[in-house]
Amino acid sequence: MLDILLPILIFSALALAAIGAVRRIRLWRQGRPSPVPVLRGLAAVPRRYLVDLHHVVARDKVMSNTHVATAGGFVAAMGLAIVVHGLGLAEGVLGWLLLAASATMFAGSLFVAQRRRNPPARLSKGPWMRLPKSLMAFSLGIFVVTLPAVGVLPADAGGWLVALVLAAVVAWGLAELVFGMTWGGPMKHAFAGALHLAFHRRPERFSDKRGGEGRSTGLKALDLEDDQAPLGVETPADFTWNQLLGFDACVQCGRCEAVCPAFAAGQPLNPKKLIQDMVVGMAGGSDAHYAGSPYPSPERGDKPVGEHHGTPHGPIVAREGTALVDAETLWSCTTCRACVEECPMMIEHVDAIVDMRRHLTLEEGATPGKGAEVIDNLIATDNPGGFDPGGRLNWAADLDLPLMADVERAEVLLWLGDGVFDMRNQRTLRALIKVLRAADVDFAVLGNEERDSGDVARRLGDEATFQSLARRNIATLSRYRFESIVTCDPHSFHVLKNEYGALYPQGQDADYPVWHHSTFINQLIESGRLPLAPGQAQRVTYHDPCYLGRYNGEYEAPRAVLRALGVELVEMQRSGYRSRCCGGGGGAPITDVPGKQRIPDMRMGDVRETQAEQVVVGCPQCTAMLEGVVPPAGNEATAVKDIAEMVAAALDNTPPATPASHDAAASQATEEVLS
Amino acid sequence: MQPESAMTPALEVTVLVSIGRHPLTGRVRRADQDARGVELARSLADAEVRLLHAGECNESSEAALRGYLGMGFSELALIEQPEGADVLPALSEALDATSPHLVITGERAERGEGSGLLPYLLAERLGWPLVSGLAAVESVEDGMATLLQALPRGQRRRLKIRLPAIVTVDDAAPTPRQSAYGPARRGTLETSAGEVCNDDEWATWQVQPARPRPKRLKIVKAASARDRFKAAAAKAEGTGGQVLTDVTPTQGAEAILTLLRDEEVLR
Amino acid sequence: MSQLPRRDPRQEWIARNRLHPRHEEVLAALGQGATSEWPGPNGLVRKNPHRVGFIGPNGIKRIDRSGTQQGAGGGKASAPVAEHKPLTEIAEPAFLVAVVPDMAGGRLSGHDKDLLGLARRLADADPAAQGAVLAVVFGSHKETNLGEAGVDRLLHLDSPEIAGYAPEARLGALITVEQAWTPRHWLLPDSKLGGGELGRRLAARLGERPATGIWQVEADAESATGWQCTARGAAGSLDIRRPLPRIALALAECAEPVSETRHAAAELVLPQPLPSTLSRIQDLGQVSVDPASVALSEAEFILAAGNGVRDWDAYHRAASVLGATEGASRVAVDEGYMPRDRQVGATGTWVTARVYIAVGISGAIQHLQGIQPCEKVIAINMDPSCDMIKRADLAVIGDSTQILEALVTLVSQAREEKRDAA
Repeated sequence: MLDILLPILIFSALALAAIGAVRRIRLWRQGRPSPVPVLRGLAAVPRRYLVDLHHVVARDKVMSNTHVATAGGFVAAMGLAIVVHGLGLAEGVLGWLLLAASATMFAGSLFVAQRRRNPPARLSKGPWMRLPKSLMAFSLGIFVVTLPAVGVLPADAGGWLVALVLAAVVAWGLAELVFGMTWGGPMKHAFAGALHLAFHRRPERFSDKRGGEGRSTGLKALDLEDDQAPLGVETPADFTWNQLLGFDACVQCGRCEAVCPAFAAGQPLNPKKLIQDMVVGMAGGSDAHYAGSPYPSPERGDKPVGEHHGTPHGPIVAREGTALVDAETLWSCTTCRACVEECPMMIEHVDAIVDMRRHLTLEEGATPGKGAEVIDNLIATDNPGGFDPGGRLNWAADLDLPLMADVERAEVLLWLGDGVFDMRNQRTLRALIKVLRAADVDFAVLGNEERDSGDVARRLGDEATFQSLARRNIATLSRYRFESIVTCDPHSFHVLKNEYGALYPQGQDADYPVWHHSTFINQLIESGRLPLAPGQAQRVTYHDPCYLGRYNGEYEAPRAVLRALGVELVEMQRSGYRSRCCGGGGGAPITDVPGKQRIPDMRMGDVRETQAEQVVVGCPQCTAMLEGVVPPAGNEATAVKDIAEMVAAALDNTPPATPASHDAAASQATEEVLS
Repeated sequence: MQPESAMTPALEVTVLVSIGRHPLTGRVRRADQDARGVELARSLADAEVRLLHAGECNESSEAALRGYLGMGFSELALIEQPEGADVLPALSEALDATSPHLVITGERAERGEGSGLLPYLLAERLGWPLVSGLAAVESVEDGMATLLQALPRGQRRRLKIRLPAIVTVDDAAPTPRQSAYGPARRGTLETSAGEVCNDDEWATWQVQPARPRPKRLKIVKAASARDRFKAAAAKAEGTGGQVLTDVTPTQGAEAILTLLRDEEVLR
Repeated sequence: MSQLPRRDPRQEWIARNRLHPRHEEVLAALGQGATSEWPGPNGLVRKNPHRVGFIGPNGIKRIDRSGTQQGAGGGKASAPVAEHKPLTEIAEPAFLVAVVPDMAGGRLSGHDKDLLGLARRLADADPAAQGAVLAVVFGSHKETNLGEAGVDRLLHLDSPEIAGYAPEARLGALITVEQAWTPRHWLLPDSKLGGGELGRRLAARLGERPATGIWQVEADAESATGWQCTARGAAGSLDIRRPLPRIALALAECAEPVSETRHAAAELVLPQPLPSTLSRIQDLGQVSVDPASVALSEAEFILAAGNGVRDWDAYHRAASVLGATEGASRVAVDEGYMPRDRQVGATGTWVTARVYIAVGISGAIQHLQGIQPCEKVIAINMDPSCDMIKRADLAVIGDSTQILEALVTLVSQAREEKRDAA
């Protein structure tokens, strides 16, 4: 009897899956068009899956192996089941292979079940709790029904009742795993995820065969010339179709939630919930079925689910009342990319958030907090603080900095950033200039010709102001000849390096490398141009700025510099690609969404755990945020130092004639810099 | 909305907007006080708000005027005038024609003479009452508006004024909302020609960027030559401030109280 | 015994003669100690240079001639010299310069005095045809020395219809003045409310184009009025040089106030009663504004709290007793003790208070930036080395809770006494 039932079951499941797939694809296609290379994309799926995706998943070894066993087992078992049971080709080795596959899958599903017994808070519950059972049903069912096929059991073993039960079990498994894949359900992630890998909006983020790192972190530019194109995303259908596909791929593993600084600070943002809300909006309905951690709410503890609802063509953020998402959720994001870095489904949360912010800022003029003021300042004075743009070099009146306007060509263009107006950052800049002079670097600055890089404007969603600033900066840059740009602001660094390229006028290119000062100093040290006095026996820890680390992959150079300084470097528990944000990115200090605690306080807590005397940073934002932390009662404040200050303090000032062993002289030099 | 809103005709409000100038960089922008006026108008219930500008129509003025459109307006009436023209006849003609209930404007322009006379001249010409330095409009009913006028140091005075009227807004008026790029780009400038009246007097004046005003010297009368010299040469109150350590709380409080009394901030 | 001072010529002679062996003794007896200065026989002041001065940093003796370093004692305080400024009376003025001072708080403000100084310049320019300064004062006032400020004629209008905010009635009064005396110049302070408004109304009514924001007036034979003025335009970014028109609205410090002369301030009476105008503007009176709700940027007296505040109830109580607007440092806001709109500093609100009391605020650079325009800063802090103390005009080191408590007690006591006295 199973011989008749199984093919019917399998093929009807496949047929239903096909119908579901069409429906699902139509849901995605509500989004705006976004051309993709279909065949090349599909062809790239295996590599993207096995290399890039696995690279992320493999950070959790147990889960990775579980997934390999379960998913690999399932794909093999399903494929073989179609052949063996669907087409009745049980001969030879195929049946045995099917047994092995389903057994592997069963083993994997045991681990899945184990994980679901006491699931961590970041995992979604609800339908996901039945997934291990469904996996077991499928794998066990297929295993048992395959036993007669390979001749281990007689074909009619157990009689019709057993056969019926088995068929029911297999049907359950097929329902969850095959047509559940396209009709919505936990297994949706497999179908949408595979296609998302194929049609990802940022194909360049995947590695290639030549071993390219594959990094694509710059935001995509809005076409402001086209006055028909929507400015940002107002409704779920305003996303491009492959963004919607990406949201649908979410497996609700909650890794993003676990690393999100805003979520940890109790700000009303949970990246996982946000993505799920987008799925709800895409399909239409309310978020009542969401079974993971909700958005935190400083007043109410948690925002209850079920209050928000949306439709594909309805607004995501309501002007009044509630819609799909509250505006404060979008403004809580620090754009630190921790979620994107952790996401095994390669979902681009930050892109989506900035897209929605663009609508709020450009269409509704609803940038919260001091956002509107900052943007007005950027428009009127080219810097967020509203300072006189003619006073960018006032801090350096005594330094006699060479101006690009005078020298016209230099080896290095030193991009100072808006930190020129901040008295704390001026110390960093002074230190950096001291270092550059000690290494005899031929550098020049733009002086009053420099403008804000546009980073803050862009993260606040004001693409128009960003593009205006960027184009004017590009025009300035293209007037001068230099070999590279060095900056001590990772935000400017990222924007100059990754986001200006798209805005160059036709026929022109950004034909210069951009270095963060830590990278550049490391190059100077490695080439022996910087005489360093050894003997700094401090215990320091290093905080990775998001825009240097996750955005640009530079984790090593600052550490190499610190090693060259001879300090004792202790790592925080979360460092490198898992570094926790200081809370200063994405305009978060400007929009200032309240939470239960502050992000920089948590980060300084991380610092204190290491018992380091100093925390070394490489970003003016991080310096400002971390220095703004008031230590808990009874604790000494941990010093916050920019890496340039560390290097400047360690410069060997002894004349080259005498051997460099005058520690006293070196420490005096230290005093000089620090004072 | 209130149920009676269907019966009462909407309050017609015209905001006179001008082209502003950023104090540091001199770039054109929406004028701050005018923008506050627009914000005030937007906050009025059942108001039908029109924006009106008389002046040049060129690229830079358009950019500034679009700043007002970005506050959520689809159009702005622009009476085209040559540079340096006296816009009074054109504006009063336009206001006469549309006869709004309430005209809101900033106290003075950020460019040109910026004498702040325009609202007064308009009021005189139209024969309407005028209230200056407004912080808020509390209510409008039966042809009377209840207003809050800003007094120094956050104080307020309540006034009642018969409509139609002209009011000018103070820096204490609500901060203008953000000007959004989308509506600013989409909105239209309804250009019309108006009566042109050249300001000949202005052309004869010498205009130059403001020089810093000389600091007034403290003139010390009589006494000795040495005192006069000292007064002229001494640094103005370069005292580092008094620090009271090891005092009882009461002594400290007394010192503070003395200073508060000297400064007359205690009421 | 008679209280009449008795002189002993011999003693005085010895005191004058510093070579006399009993010189010091007699000086001590006369209570002058080592006197260095005494009236000589001819009435000239005699000084003993050996008795005065101090040894300067280079070991050279220096003498400070300001008189502050006289020999100790002296005892004879010079009697205060009664100021006798010459009284100028202009009986038959060639013309009138009308000034409408603001009289904020019933007294001449500095701005008003400057304006009167300018009016004097205009009136006194031609000694042959001297003009008189007419001050038009609205409402009751407490000013007693209008004459010393340079007022020749005073028109004091104090009828009920011009009380409060009554620009239309006041304009009517000025028009009556214009009709009665036709002043050659109208000078008004270009202040926010008051002169600035009234002057513009007057100009609009008279159809004269006034000059506003004047800060400099110079004689100029070529202009119609004989004067040239420099006025600020375009939100203070332009200087406009133009002939001085009849109606001038001038900024503070447009001229030196009158200080050398005294004037009659003779009261004038309007030849005709004030016209009755139907006011279309009704003054419903000043609204009582809770200092706590005043926007920080407008507040004149701020009590700001920082991380060092332990007892928040005491702090709020102090703010309400003192009638101060509450402010806060970033940390206090971040910790949730104060709302975000109360944050002072570069990242919060820039404040322009006259008095700023910083309680337990150490003074982060952003905070100090935000209070830069404040006139007087008082710091209450435990830490005498913090940056706020360096900025403060008065710093009290100690426990903020106790100091605030003491301050509250003092202020309430003072109020109590005042009430009892009243």
